[in-house]
Amino acid sequence: MNIDGDYLWDRTGEPDPEIQQLEETLGTLRSQPRPLEIPADLQTESRPGFFSGIAPRLAPRLAIAATIVIVLLGLGLWLGLQRLQRGQPPAVAPVANVPNTHAPAINPGSTPQRTPNENQHQVVTLPDSDQKHSDEPRRHRVNPPLLAANANRSLNQARKEVVKNPQLAINELQEGRAAKDQLMLALRVASAKLNFAQRKMQNTNPRDPVHNQHKIG
Amino acid sequence: MKSLSHTLLKLALLKLASVAVLVVLGAAATAMAQNPRIQTSQLDALAAKASQTVDVNIDERLIQLTARFLSSKDRDEAKVKDLVNGLKGIYVKSFEFEAEGQYTEADLEGIRSQLRNTAWNKIVNVKSKKEGTVEVYLMQVGNQISGLAVLATDPKEITVVNIIGPVDLDKLTQLEGEFGIPELEIERSKPKRKN
Repeated sequence: MNIDGDYLWDRTGEPDPEIQQLEETLGTLRSQPRPLEIPADLQTESRPGFFSGIAPRLAPRLAIAATIVIVLLGLGLWLGLQRLQRGQPPAVAPVANVPNTHAPAINPGSTPQRTPNENQHQVVTLPDSDQKHSDEPRRHRVNPPLLAANANRSLNQARKEVVKNPQLAINELQEGRAAKDQLMLALRVASAKLNFAQRKMQNTNPRDPVHNQHKIG
Repeated sequence: MKSLSHTLLKLALLKLASVAVLVVLGAAATAMAQNPRIQTSQLDALAAKASQTVDVNIDERLIQLTARFLSSKDRDEAKVKDLVNGLKGIYVKSFEFEAEGQYTEADLEGIRSQLRNTAWNKIVNVKSKKEGTVEVYLMQVGNQISGLAVLATDPKEITVVNIIGPVDLDKLTQLEGEFGIPELEIERSKPKRKN
C-alpha cells in the first residue's frame, strides 16, 4: 500500500489500487441521503391547551382576558403601594403619642412578667415569677429601673426618629424597636458568657499563662 | 474519521461536564462546611421543660434596621452600632431549668457535632463543676473572624450564642455593664463607667 502519495490525502496524484479497492468496498456503506418518511399510521397527541378543556373556541379570548386581568391586578397593586407610601406621613405623625404597645410593660417596682412576641423570629420568655431568681445568684438579673429608663429612652429616640424621618413606616418603627431590644438581649447574653469564660481563664492560673495554653486551642 | 472525532469531542465534553459538576459540588460542600450558622432547632424540645427561655434570631436585615435606631452621637449606642456593623446574624438560644437533669449530653450532641467541623476552632474551653462549662469557638476566613459560637452549659442551663460576621470579641466582652447591660459579677481591671 502506497501511503506516501497525495491520493490518500486529496485524491490527486497516482491512485493506489488497494486504496481504490477499499473505497469501492466501503463505498457501499456510504450514507445515502433520503427524504424523511413519516409512517402513515403514526398518531400524534396534541397537547390540550389551558382553556381548551373549558371552551376550545373561547380559548384565545379567555387567554387575552386573563392577561388583561393579571395586568390590571398588578397595576392596582402598584398603585396601592404608591398610595400607601404617599399616605404614610400623616399616618405616622400622630402615632408618636400612642402608648408604646411593643415595648415591654415595665413597672419599676416589679420584674417584667413576659415580653410580648413581636416578631415571628424572636421569642423571649422571661420568668413567670420573681421567686426563682432569689436562689440563683449567678444568673443574670434584669434591673427594672434601668430597663424602664432604657425603654423610655428608646421610645423618645423612636419619636425623634419619626419626626426626623417621616417616611419611616410605623411597622418598621415597631419592628426596629423590638429588634433593638432583642439585639441588646442577645449581646448581653453573649457578652456575659464571654466574660464568664474570660474570668474563669484568668482565675485558673493567672501567674502561669503558659500552663493555660492547653485551654486555648 | 469524522465520527471518531465527534466521539472524541463528545467524550471530552462529557469529562469536562463531569469535572465541572464535581467542582460545583465540591464548592457547595466547602461552602456548607464553612457556614458559620449553627442550627439549634434540635434544642427546641427543651423549651417545654425550661422555666426560662430566650430565643433571639436577628438576621442581617434586622441588624441593619436596628442600626438605624442606634444613635451615633450617644456613646453607648455608638459602641453597639460599631459592634453590630457588618454582622450578618445574631442568634441566641438559652434555656434555664428549675431542676437539674432536664437535659442530656445527647441534646447537645447536635450542636457539638456542628462545632467539630474543621472550620471551627475552639479557642476557649472552661469547665467548672459548680458553674458549668463554657466553650468558645471561632470560624475564621483568613485573618478575619467570620463566626462566633458560644456553648455554655451548667446543670440547670443551656445557652448557645451564634454570631455571624466579623465580630470584635474585645468590644463584645467590654459591652457588659454598659448601655443597660448589667455587669455580671465580673471583676474587671478597668474602671467602671458611671452612667
